[in-house]
Amino acid sequence: MSSTSPSRWAMIGRETGRALTAVVIALAVALVVILLTSADPGAAFQTLLTAPLSSNRTMGLWIDDVAKLTLTGLAFSLVFQARQFSMGVQGQVYMGGLFAALIAMSPIGATPLAIPVAMLAAMCAGAVYGFIPGYAKARFGASEIVSSLMLNYIAILVVNYLIRAHLAPAGTGQLMTAKFPDTAIFPAIVPGTRFDLGIVIALIATFVVWFLLYRTSWGLKLRLVGHNPKFAEYSGIRSSFVMVSAMTVAGAFGGLLGSVFVQGRAFGNLAQNFDGNLAFEGILIAIVARSRPLAVPFVALAYGYLRQGAQLMGIRTDVPTEMISVVQAIIILLVASSFSLPGKKFIAGLFGKKPTPAATPEVAK
Amino acid sequence: MAPLLEAISIGKTYPGGTIANDGVNLTIEAGEVHAVVGENGAGKSTLMKILFGIEQPDRGEIRLDGKPVSFANPRDAIDHGVGMVFQHFSLVPSFSVYENVVLGSEPRNGIKFDRNEAIDRVRALSEKFRLAVDPLPPVGELPVGQQQRVEILKALYRDARILILDEPTAVLAPQEVEELFVAVRALVAQGRTVIFIAHKLPEVLEISDRITVMRGGKTVGSVNARDVTEQSLATMMVGREIALRVDRAKGRGELACEVKALKLEAENGVTVAADLNLKVHSGEILGLVGVEGNGQAELLEAIAGLRPIADGVVYLNGTSLAPKSVLERRGLGLASIPEDRIARGLATGATIAENLIATRLADKRFVRNGLLDLKAIKANALALIERFSIRSGGPGYAVGTLSGGNMQKVVVARELSEQPKLLLVNQPTRGVDLGATQFIWKSLTDARDGGAAVLLSSADLSELLALSDRLVVFYRGKIVAAFVNSDDLTAETLGTYMLGLSSQDPEIMRAALQ
Repeated sequence: MSSTSPSRWAMIGRETGRALTAVVIALAVALVVILLTSADPGAAFQTLLTAPLSSNRTMGLWIDDVAKLTLTGLAFSLVFQARQFSMGVQGQVYMGGLFAALIAMSPIGATPLAIPVAMLAAMCAGAVYGFIPGYAKARFGASEIVSSLMLNYIAILVVNYLIRAHLAPAGTGQLMTAKFPDTAIFPAIVPGTRFDLGIVIALIATFVVWFLLYRTSWGLKLRLVGHNPKFAEYSGIRSSFVMVSAMTVAGAFGGLLGSVFVQGRAFGNLAQNFDGNLAFEGILIAIVARSRPLAVPFVALAYGYLRQGAQLMGIRTDVPTEMISVVQAIIILLVASSFSLPGKKFIAGLFGKKPTPAATPEVAK
Repeated sequence: MAPLLEAISIGKTYPGGTIANDGVNLTIEAGEVHAVVGENGAGKSTLMKILFGIEQPDRGEIRLDGKPVSFANPRDAIDHGVGMVFQHFSLVPSFSVYENVVLGSEPRNGIKFDRNEAIDRVRALSEKFRLAVDPLPPVGELPVGQQQRVEILKALYRDARILILDEPTAVLAPQEVEELFVAVRALVAQGRTVIFIAHKLPEVLEISDRITVMRGGKTVGSVNARDVTEQSLATMMVGREIALRVDRAKGRGELACEVKALKLEAENGVTVAADLNLKVHSGEILGLVGVEGNGQAELLEAIAGLRPIADGVVYLNGTSLAPKSVLERRGLGLASIPEDRIARGLATGATIAENLIATRLADKRFVRNGLLDLKAIKANALALIERFSIRSGGPGYAVGTLSGGNMQKVVVARELSEQPKLLLVNQPTRGVDLGATQFIWKSLTDARDGGAAVLLSSADLSELLALSDRLVVFYRGKIVAAFVNSDDLTAETLGTYMLGLSSQDPEIMRAALQ
């Protein structure tokens, strides 16, 4: 409904301004780090700013990141809009990746059905993995933050174990499976790069999440539960159902991301620790996008650029790789802290504090 | 001689462009009770916050004893002898009365907190100003009226010459209001000055010497209390003639809702209400009277389906409500205007249009095959905004951007958009200005005339007396008295039952309960 609000453009402008301010500050901090650690700071900084555009290959790296960041950002946006703080996207990614790999390595993997079936299997696995903390919360009052984080560890370690003990080619000592058949790997859109089906999936998913949230009654219920659970209860909305289903649907998108990871051209197989912690960066994307699905790809585009620039800087220049992580963490910190409302509530939620109720603007009596 | 406290052409604009004060003038003479009245949004609270150093004015000057002063924070104001008692108290419930009073400026004996000295001082203060309160018990165990005295003592302990009371009577029963007024007179008699922010005009006329009326961020004028009437004050406040009178029900219809031997428990198993029996007929308003926390709100929640019923039954047109979900109850014709619009009645972050259909997501007009019909939702919002004259930017604006009165109108519009059979109403006009109050009252009586049975709870006795056809009084979770409303029934009579000071003959009560 916000699409009818006349103040929408003003809001978009304001939010973009805040994001840009955060980025500028982050870049300034990055510059300081570079000045302190690099022998040729000018080249290093230039790499940070321009490297992702330097070739088709690096642009492919960037777009591949954007697709993945968009999907994780969408999964987090869904649960955040229902004001659930499920951190389970990472676990869903691993479960989704596992099941997509199992399909890809099965006889189906060699058929044209490989991609859709593997994606579907990944989404189901992710959905189940998202459902568990939701159900535990609705039924037993278990904190979804704790249970989803623990489930992440379980998923990562189980998948890593399965790869090492069963799925990797015997006797090679590799910590990854063999390449999937070509039919099970996403086709490249620009040959020779990672620019593949993933970005298309991410954009379709963006539209689907937007449609679910803003055009269906389920989405309206979800948002009302997120705005004010007591009001939802009073209106006759079954908030526990909404809560569990939100976490389940978000889980399906987490699982889908798992399939995009393992079937994308970046991997094409299932490797240990394949997500490189990217799944968690969806929290940042969702916070900056204010959990608005249509804003998610744009935030992912900008953040993915910085992320890829930092990584290329780590490869191409003498800035130590540890410092790359420091710069990334600072960017996350600055961007997240400049976004007051959901960010603060989220952080307060993490520490189990009750968020202070938004001050009602009762200016005068 | 210069007046004690003067505010001269104060201006204050909040970030976001809301002009809260625009050339406000206020002159307070020493030793008077000066009331400041005005509708919500008139700028009273802002002015008081400026006088107490919480807000800084953009323009204008404050003079104390003729000398310009500026308060950077409340500490500054307190040091200059200004004290303020807020509507929401800032007390530590587990601390005793005397600890609360001296907190922050404790008398010391060496480095030790001198408890005996503190108790003696608090006792002396409470005798001097006729604010009877025992210094020893924890504040949390005291009734609201006594907690308020503790707040006043806190200010006096810090030598407040000027005491600002922000809507002090809003939380009090009539008898407690009388006691507060005794204390206020004692304060004035001992040379203190009281600034009294208020809503209820009869009280203002009773207690104050001078009255300053504010409207739309400006001062309309100052008058002597004895020169004005309630009606002329109300006209000054809203800038036009208003009539706060409502027509009684023309006659009641069939029995609509019956509550039998109802028992309600809090989550921890403590009984909050027991043995509740009452009947409401269509076309009548039954007022639930009682100091807050005596079971009225819990009864309304239980009927609405927001609180489990421990024992007993509630019927709506012959159907037992206990096994029904909230949505099923609404399907039976139940509507509910909850006590706290922000906590319960609205999703302030969602749009007006979304709030207006939140209770009707099973309705084919707005949702088909799980998809929202945005056109119908918008049309519904536009129609209700028009019908209930909700002042807003449009259906797409978040409810949180509206004023309190308009937020309440959104709740009322949603609940009354279709004629209900049973309407539950709790505090319909709390924090709502006179214009909106008048409108909401009219909406309630229209619903009644349309055949709704109305259960009305309110902390405002004059509202209950104005609207109700019958009244029942709650005390400690029980119904202790019942009345058929008439001009002879006064707030004072109700008050004696509300405080458990008198009890009604069971026969008379039974007759009025029918």
